[in-house]
Amino acid sequence: MKKTILFLLVVFMLFPAAVFAGGSKEKPKEGYPPEMDAWAKDAKLGIYDKDQDWDEIIEKAKQEGSVVVYASSSRIASAGAEFSKIYPEIKVESFDLGSVKTFEKTIQEQDAGLYNADIITTGGSGNYYFELLEKNRIVNFVPSTHADNISRENKDPLLVRINEAIVFMYNMENHESQPINNLWELTTEKYRGKVVIKNPLASLSNLMGIATIVQHADEMEKAYKKFSGEKLVLSEGVPDAGYEWLYRLIHNDLVILKSGGGVAKASGQKGQKNAPIAIGPLAYGASYNRNKDYVNGIMFPLEPADGVIYPTYMSIARQAPHPNAAKLFTAYLLGNPDVTSDMKIEEPYTEGESVKILQGMAPYYFAGAMSPLKTMPVAPDVKDWDKMNMWTVDPEFMWYDGPKVQDFWMKETAE
Amino acid sequence: MDSPFSINREIQMQQKIQFYTSKLKSKPEIILSIIFVAVFAFLIVVPFVQMIYTTLTYQSYDLRLERGAEEGAFTLFHYKRMFNSDLTQSLFLKPFLNSIKVGVSVTLIAMVVGSLLAWLFVRTDIPYRKFFQTIIVVPYMIPSWVIALAWQLFFQNTRTGGHAGVITSLFGLNIPDWLSYGFIPIVICLALHYYSYTFLLMSGALRTIDSELEEAGAIEGMTRSQILRKITFPLVLPALGSSFVLTVTRSMGTFGTPALLGLPVRFFTIPTQIYAMINARNMGDGFVLALVLIILAATFISINNKIIGVRKSFVTMKGKGFRSSPMKLGKLRPFLIAALVILIVCLIVFPIVMLALSTFMLLPDDYSFSNFTTHFWTGESDATISSGEPGVFKNKGIIGGIFNSIKLGVIAAVVNAFLGLLIGYTVVKNRGTKLSQLIEGIAFAPYVFPSIAFSAIYLSMFSRSVGPIPALYGTFSLMVLIVIVKNLPFSSRSGISAMLQVDKSLEETASIQGIPFVKRFRFIILPLCKSGFLSGMILTFITAMRELSLVILLVTPSTRLLTTMIFAYETQEQEQHSNAVTLILLMIIIIANVLIRVFVNRKSENTMNLG
Repeated sequence: MKKTILFLLVVFMLFPAAVFAGGSKEKPKEGYPPEMDAWAKDAKLGIYDKDQDWDEIIEKAKQEGSVVVYASSSRIASAGAEFSKIYPEIKVESFDLGSVKTFEKTIQEQDAGLYNADIITTGGSGNYYFELLEKNRIVNFVPSTHADNISRENKDPLLVRINEAIVFMYNMENHESQPINNLWELTTEKYRGKVVIKNPLASLSNLMGIATIVQHADEMEKAYKKFSGEKLVLSEGVPDAGYEWLYRLIHNDLVILKSGGGVAKASGQKGQKNAPIAIGPLAYGASYNRNKDYVNGIMFPLEPADGVIYPTYMSIARQAPHPNAAKLFTAYLLGNPDVTSDMKIEEPYTEGESVKILQGMAPYYFAGAMSPLKTMPVAPDVKDWDKMNMWTVDPEFMWYDGPKVQDFWMKETAE
Repeated sequence: MDSPFSINREIQMQQKIQFYTSKLKSKPEIILSIIFVAVFAFLIVVPFVQMIYTTLTYQSYDLRLERGAEEGAFTLFHYKRMFNSDLTQSLFLKPFLNSIKVGVSVTLIAMVVGSLLAWLFVRTDIPYRKFFQTIIVVPYMIPSWVIALAWQLFFQNTRTGGHAGVITSLFGLNIPDWLSYGFIPIVICLALHYYSYTFLLMSGALRTIDSELEEAGAIEGMTRSQILRKITFPLVLPALGSSFVLTVTRSMGTFGTPALLGLPVRFFTIPTQIYAMINARNMGDGFVLALVLIILAATFISINNKIIGVRKSFVTMKGKGFRSSPMKLGKLRPFLIAALVILIVCLIVFPIVMLALSTFMLLPDDYSFSNFTTHFWTGESDATISSGEPGVFKNKGIIGGIFNSIKLGVIAAVVNAFLGLLIGYTVVKNRGTKLSQLIEGIAFAPYVFPSIAFSAIYLSMFSRSVGPIPALYGTFSLMVLIVIVKNLPFSSRSGISAMLQVDKSLEETASIQGIPFVKRFRFIILPLCKSGFLSGMILTFITAMRELSLVILLVTPSTRLLTTMIFAYETQEQEQHSNAVTLILLMIIIIANVLIRVFVNRKSENTMNLG
């Protein structure tokens, strides 16, 4: 073993030039690096994105012939298939990578000087903002066809493709109405071992859910007062009311499950005597009631909030080889720009008239997702979205405090 | 190659360079060693060094915990966090102890089961041996989480909500948490998955033992247990050692089963921690824990070497006559057959049937006839089911996926099997030297290298041309390369244990007669190591076909594999689709396994005749 270590040390000294030459980490600068600047100028993107001429974009897009998408979702592929029916000249190649690998692949490739991707679309607000946008690995692109129909928070600084939510669910067969009104009730003896949660360490969206609750420490403290009438006393070493709620939840024998489907099943499956409360993605709660005959009820109103909204962003990758096809597909994924709120959208959503209106939104329309378009008719799964009082993930908090929340979670769950 | 002309030419060539190489030529292991060290330095040591480098510098994730730190600057930050902070207990120590507990328990059970089965099939008169031998390694081909799912189906209690398992629903028994989740079920499920290593290696070893040796013991008046302890055991010790090393390191490094069965009771292991860290893009901490696994593996290897190294290795493959007479099982026979059938039903038939059944059910867990559908196999796209994903046979990607997966598996299996023997040859011939230990050690390193880290590093290493190697990124070759390197540990282990049994004198005789190394290898070593070679090939084929984490960053739409499709379906929680593709993958592996056995058996009989 000693020899091995010695050998490794020798290699360590001999090889560093070969190994680390590729990983030059560029620091964010004012403006774009030169090659990116030339590309952006040519593609009319980023700081050169003015007066979008859609006839020209379509013409060039057809010449480019394909568009490469790195996504956290496989549904992009079915949207791509529909897109290619309208533009048979343009082939959509989508990589379904999940959020973490989307970042990993984008960053590793670009660091190695490879610019393969055209569109990046994934959740993970902190990473997206600080590792992609801040480091010029993407440019934000809002199609002028849709810009006025999207509220500011959904397009600036990053365009949101869909919004989704982490919510609290109960079994409607076991309870006539929602069993709790305040999040602190989940930390009481009654719910010991009776709350399930999707593992926050399994994907970025779950971590964002709990981190955003932790972020709202003041509201959590007030909610505690409402719940017990007393002032909250923090446990030893716990910094604030946000963490305190998480601490008590974890130590109330919180049950951690691997998947969102598992969580929806835990609370929603019929024929249970005392089903647990579930903390998980609305997508599974809503769509599985229909697809799998579950009986999940979404709880609202709750003190102090009914859930957490987490966006999936969509941007054009740095030095994208097919920038115009990327623009066109971006517009398609948002939906038909002429959509109005009084339009009737009927099942099946991915066919006929419905898909003409929904376009790239079609595969998401029945999956608990909310379009950023103001005039997009509200999908049945998210019909209560506007009535619900939800917090939205804050990229800055996620970036700077996400790791602390993760550490806290790992420490407390392992004890 | 056999024509006198080519032999003449070779002899001429040799004469030309004989002067310079006369010393080296008789020792091809030296040349091979040099080649291996150089290639391994690049393919294994460089990524390893990069990993160490990552643990010793600030990564972008760390800037979030330590503001003001500079990315890339030297620091012991990660080591302090892991080994000397208030997080040590939960991030490192507890998961570490759990991993060791799991690894050792799994290995003990797996080795007992695997050895017994190997003995049963090789040395006794059990009927239908060929059939049993083929089917008994199937659990290794089934992804380990499928066995875990089957466990859940039976033993799940009400803790995780939803419908409880069969035992609770049918008999109203509330199963305690320790039997539903955590340590016990993890160990059982993994042991039932990993016994195949011991089984394959032990069958190989037992098959090559001349039973005359044991009979000689019996004539000398030794009891059965004495024969076992004094004769059989020492002879199979190298194979047992290899099985131990493979099983213990692999079961400590496995992620899927602990994630499924451990999470509900918060039973964390090192791999589940690494996964969580890499998932958060916290590479620094993740790699520190990965290094812990590597050091553990190195420790086990050196223990193994100590135990086997102090004894003289026993050579059983000699040029002399060879026979093996099966032991009569007598009265035990029906019981053993019954036990085997039960094992096969529980481990193979049941999980596969369950997997297959689930692909025909519109709603999961609803076993009524009206819920039966062939949609997930042959259906056209229907937006209300599985977000419009057409049935797997209507899916264009699947044909390409099948083709690519098979191509990857076959290339890796063949290349790895040859490399394995060459490494085995080099290591065994140099046995006792530091060089030998070094090669053995490095060849084993990829085994415990976290796949995702390995592929991320390969991605950046091969994105540009390096010397004579062109930029491989995005090509199928890179996937083949990384799979081969990652599988070297398997093949080198089986290569080494196969070579340990070959009598040196056979090759030396040929060498003295001036037969070149390539021929010696082809006509002497290869036929003698047939079973080791074969098991190495099968193991690699199976693992290559099942590889996911290693290739997920490297695939392109044209190089898509079945596993990456399973992954995509899984992340979308389209379980019927993912189970259907899993089933296809499984069937290909099983069929290929049978074909390889038949083909190689016939082939090698020819070779034997030629030799």
